[in-house]
Amino acid sequence: MKLRRWSIRWALVCAVAAAFFTPRCAFPQGAGSVRKTVTTANQQKKTNASGIFADVTRAAGIDFHLVCGGAEKRYIMESMCGGIAVFDYDNDGWMDIFLVNGSTLEDVKAGKCHPSKLYHNNHNGTFTDVTGKSGINHCGWGFGVAVGDYDNDGNEDLYVTYLDGAVLYRNNGDGTFTDVTAKAGVGNTGSWGTSAAFGDYDNDGHLDLYVANYVDLDLNHLPEFGQGPFCQYRGIAVSCGPRGLKGGRDRLYHNNGDGTFTEVTEKLNIDPGAYYGLGVMWLDYDLDGCLDLYVANDSTPSLLYHGDCKGGFTEVGVQAGVAFSGDGREQAGMGIDSADYDNDGWPDIAKTNFSDDTNNLYHNDHAGEFTDLAGPSNFGPVSIPFLGYGVKFLDFDNDGWKDIFVANGHVNPQVDQHSFGVTYAERPLIFRNLKSGKFEEMGMRGGAAMSRRYVARGAATADFFNDGQEDLLVSVLDGSPLLLRNRTQPTGHWLRIKTVGVRSNHDGFGARVQVKAGGLTQSAEVRANASFESASDSRLHFGLGTAKQVESIEVRWPSGVVDRVGAQAADREIVIVEGKGVAGSPPKPALPGMGNAMSDRKQAKFR
Amino acid sequence: MTGEEGRENTLRFAGICAFSLWSGLSRCFPRRKSVLQFAAFLALLPAFSAVAPSQDPLLPKLIREGQDAIEAGDYARAASAFERARQIAPGSEDVNRGLLLSYLEQGRLQEAEVIGQPAVARWPKDTELLHWLGLVYFKQHRNAVSISQLRRAESLDPSQYYVHYDLALVLLSDDNYSDAAVELEKANKIDPKVALAHVLLGRAYQNTNRSLQAVEQFQDALRIDPSLTLGHYHLGFAYASLGRNDDAIAEYEKELQRSANNPTVLYQLGHCQIEAGDWKSAVTHLQKVTELDPQNSDAWYDLGKALLLQGEVEGAAAALRRAIELKPANPSPHYQLYRVLDKLGKKDEARGELESFSALKGAQPVTGGMAAGPVP
Repeated sequence: MKLRRWSIRWALVCAVAAAFFTPRCAFPQGAGSVRKTVTTANQQKKTNASGIFADVTRAAGIDFHLVCGGAEKRYIMESMCGGIAVFDYDNDGWMDIFLVNGSTLEDVKAGKCHPSKLYHNNHNGTFTDVTGKSGINHCGWGFGVAVGDYDNDGNEDLYVTYLDGAVLYRNNGDGTFTDVTAKAGVGNTGSWGTSAAFGDYDNDGHLDLYVANYVDLDLNHLPEFGQGPFCQYRGIAVSCGPRGLKGGRDRLYHNNGDGTFTEVTEKLNIDPGAYYGLGVMWLDYDLDGCLDLYVANDSTPSLLYHGDCKGGFTEVGVQAGVAFSGDGREQAGMGIDSADYDNDGWPDIAKTNFSDDTNNLYHNDHAGEFTDLAGPSNFGPVSIPFLGYGVKFLDFDNDGWKDIFVANGHVNPQVDQHSFGVTYAERPLIFRNLKSGKFEEMGMRGGAAMSRRYVARGAATADFFNDGQEDLLVSVLDGSPLLLRNRTQPTGHWLRIKTVGVRSNHDGFGARVQVKAGGLTQSAEVRANASFESASDSRLHFGLGTAKQVESIEVRWPSGVVDRVGAQAADREIVIVEGKGVAGSPPKPALPGMGNAMSDRKQAKFR
Repeated sequence: MTGEEGRENTLRFAGICAFSLWSGLSRCFPRRKSVLQFAAFLALLPAFSAVAPSQDPLLPKLIREGQDAIEAGDYARAASAFERARQIAPGSEDVNRGLLLSYLEQGRLQEAEVIGQPAVARWPKDTELLHWLGLVYFKQHRNAVSISQLRRAESLDPSQYYVHYDLALVLLSDDNYSDAAVELEKANKIDPKVALAHVLLGRAYQNTNRSLQAVEQFQDALRIDPSLTLGHYHLGFAYASLGRNDDAIAEYEKELQRSANNPTVLYQLGHCQIEAGDWKSAVTHLQKVTELDPQNSDAWYDLGKALLLQGEVEGAAAALRRAIELKPANPSPHYQLYRVLDKLGKKDEARGELESFSALKGAQPVTGGMAAGPVP
């Protein structure tokens, strides 16, 4: 009996000691269980709109299967596939889909192909595989994809990264593509590229190209699974790296304007540390009219290159506060995106990281610096157990405030054999902007498709159905992609703007658009390439809430030209041509009923 | 057969009788085993006298004295009684048990080991001897052998609550949270009404990344004992781990109602308020921590961060400098101070801090693979 008291006394000491000596870092929790914690009755009451995304992949006729190594993921490249591109390759006004395929170690060595696929949008909610006649036929282990009209011919071109090199496909404008890599000189030879992005950093009217390279791998001498200190996760054997492996140095190619590029990596001192590059995005964070570049690196500092408007860069990631976590710790940066989530006129940045860490929401402080407000905004804490990849801002309820989508999925299937509170497949996260600088994660209210678990990677946004609601496309490792149709009701009015550059690059990438409507001023920058290994619909989508018209639009082009447009009716797409203003809405046969004018009866036909 | 051997055999017979009685009763009342064991022992004392007429009449008196002393918590007197008893009957299992327990409770660990080792060898199926010897090793910080003894005890009698409980304590002190959780789960299954066991299980879950289960354990502990020391603190910590900062703050505040000046609780509250964006409150609480515990580098660091976020740049610089003084090898305050000095336009000083930050980071061991975190 005395022993019992003695034991309790000891236990007390241990408990108190544990309390005092437990590190203050946060620990992750199983995805499913977190879901329970974020959907309280009170939160539901406060929510007006319910964000509903429906999985329409099968109905849309998309039958792609992403191949990416073996089930055990014994090597690092087997976890990193998943590039997706949304672009209008045939200029019919409807967003088409390109899905990059990976391979396996055996197949890539044997030269066996797992083709990437191009799907044409049939304008009726379905897609047709047109890969066969497209000429997109490179055989290799693919990862990321970038979209941009590099030759300003009015047709969107494709750049695809591979485990060994990359391919530039020139869009011929007739539904076919030609591999022009050798001529263009953008082969990224000998490097494993992940994300890539087109952007005109010197404002010469031609899109330049940045390629993030991850790890230098020799397929004949791959690091042994589970062997060594860099092949462990919480004490269990997993695939090795990236730590312990040689990083791949990123590459920057300058567009010469004649269909060729010149590599300027060394000249501009790009990525001298050869960090493990994953996410890439061009943006003008200080609104000086010149593109800057943000690169999310894995397990190494992320880099922010400030463009000097003269074709040069200064790396300012640490000064700007976007290189590390708030405590100066390297993070495993994966995907990135930028938008003005608080409508203060300045672009902010979202970045995904590994599990056991929070995702970042870097608020732009307007003075060349950012503050990570992931905690106060509620964007970060819920992400702790999730391993984030693709991330996209979107306004899913058209209320004029950018919401955020995050695609999640772990890299080590081995975690499922242990009680780590982390799972291999994870549900995505959808954050609704509460307009107060805070977000709420929708959890189950995002719909059944948002509640399921996936090993998700790439993520892209687009209005695939031209119905005024932003949809999602997500790639899934070793599985089918997800085409998630936005069926949020009620939804606000909207306006979509397509930019056409004349002196600037034809896409208008880098153009800054400001829209005033209903007492709210929103701003956005034209880009396609962001997220993780992905490209999104580059048409700018503005939710307008209850406003039935836009009062004014201002477009600041990379060339310096400024177009100001007067009142425009809502719930349609307009095209703004540099120096000419609105060119008129293109004849796009929309699905019956558009925007919030759509009756339930009419919508039902298409669900 | 010598007289001593005869006495031993007689006592062994009595012991077998006692064990049979105890076992029978234990099967009927498994959760009262220790009480029953002691009761059986007392009940059989007269029998001892009856069947062992050649035994020194002082022996039962000494054993009873030792038992009484243990009951009274007077382990020195108990040890003295059992030492004298052992001089009379060195081969008595009960005398050795009593002496081992007395030494253990007194912290006379070497003597306990000297008694315990041969006793365990001689009575290898005595669960309590194994248990107590395991605890002797634990107190000697010899966790491996302690675990070995306790595992043996556990295999002999898995229904013993405190074998699981104490085994969990040893495992926890080894940072083996996963196995400790298993033992605490077994203990809680036997007796779910011990608040502290739920707290310990919660900590074990917390450290094996099962924060939601940890929350449940801390909630159970508080249901059993609402006044449990640090109960709300633990629950708050688990909520913070789940990113539920508002819930965490509420729990920390409840804990502070009971101990308003606990610097650990104040620190976690301030830290959580930084995360939640309530920088003003964070500054208030962290300032209090630095007054209560001026050597707490982490508190100065977080105070600097909170002040910086509030825009009080000069104050932030002072707090961060203090954090650096206290823990110069920590890169994080240098990083924050770099940002502060840069904002103040002190570019040269800022550069110096950035260089310090980079140098300190470079000196840190690189661990882990794709995960940025350390390998446990």
